[in-house]
Amino acid sequence: MSALAVILLMWLVTYLPRWLGLNLGHLQLPAFWQAFLRFVPVSVFPALLVPDVLGSPEWPQRLMGCVVAVALLLRTRQLALGILGGFAAYWLARVLSG
Amino acid sequence: MLPLWPGMLPFAVAYAVTARAAGLSVFDTCLMSLTVFGGASQFAAAGLFAQGASGLGIVLTTFLLNVRHVLYGLSLSRDLALTPVQRLTAAQFLTDEAYGVVTLEARQDPSKRTFAFLLGAELSLFTVWNLSTLLGALGGEVLPSPEALGAGVIFPLAFLGLLVPLLVDRLTLVVALFSGLLAWGLAQLLPGGLVVLVAGVAGALLGAYFSTRRTPEAQA
Repeated sequence: MSALAVILLMWLVTYLPRWLGLNLGHLQLPAFWQAFLRFVPVSVFPALLVPDVLGSPEWPQRLMGCVVAVALLLRTRQLALGILGGFAAYWLARVLSG
Repeated sequence: MLPLWPGMLPFAVAYAVTARAAGLSVFDTCLMSLTVFGGASQFAAAGLFAQGASGLGIVLTTFLLNVRHVLYGLSLSRDLALTPVQRLTAAQFLTDEAYGVVTLEARQDPSKRTFAFLLGAELSLFTVWNLSTLLGALGGEVLPSPEALGAGVIFPLAFLGLLVPLLVDRLTLVVALFSGLLAWGLAQLLPGGLVVLVAGVAGALLGAYFSTRRTPEAQA
């Protein structure tokens, strides 16, 4: 599948749930499925990031960056600060490990 | 909307750099921001493109990530009366951030329960997101190679930035650890796009099971 086709299909599967929800104001989803939808980001984000850190050849350096990023995010709640601080820690670990 | 911009700008730039590093053209990188307009799914797609995941896997992951927008629509359409054309328009630009701001403001000030306020919030985010994407996509041209820069680590860092605010109690933490470690284990066996789908659905089912079993009255 070409990148263009993937992007257009991504558009479709993003637009439809947004539009569908706006049209279903009268509908009451069962509690279980409401909870399922709320837990999707909590579940998908780690599934994306953990293999990318621990499965990498430079995993110790990436892990260092992530630990610092989490500490900064918990303290400041600033997305940009977390990314930049984590990136700096990753680089420090990378330089120190040669 | 102003407080949201400083968070969006670096995120959009980081997305664009990751997408360019994954081999997407400047056009494709910007097209995704214009059409899909969803930070998490765009970032996930860029990462999956980089891992060489299948197109189908990328589309299904996008669907899984964005199916929660049904909830936002459900909630918004109770606060706002929208015509069919307004729904078609508002749907294109609906994001977590726009939903968050509009529901918050509409509860405090009923005069803001209008299509104009919703669209204004949506479009201001859309503009910043797309200008930042363009900046990152073009900026990536003049920078050294992504590996030399260590751009690969931006991807997990950005997702940590989205994840950490969601970890509000023990159950969310357990779900996050469960799906993260499950994905790590599955990554040895399955291709990238599938890993995220399987671990993502399994984690969300786990969370839904324990949250509805533990406090059924809190779900009403």
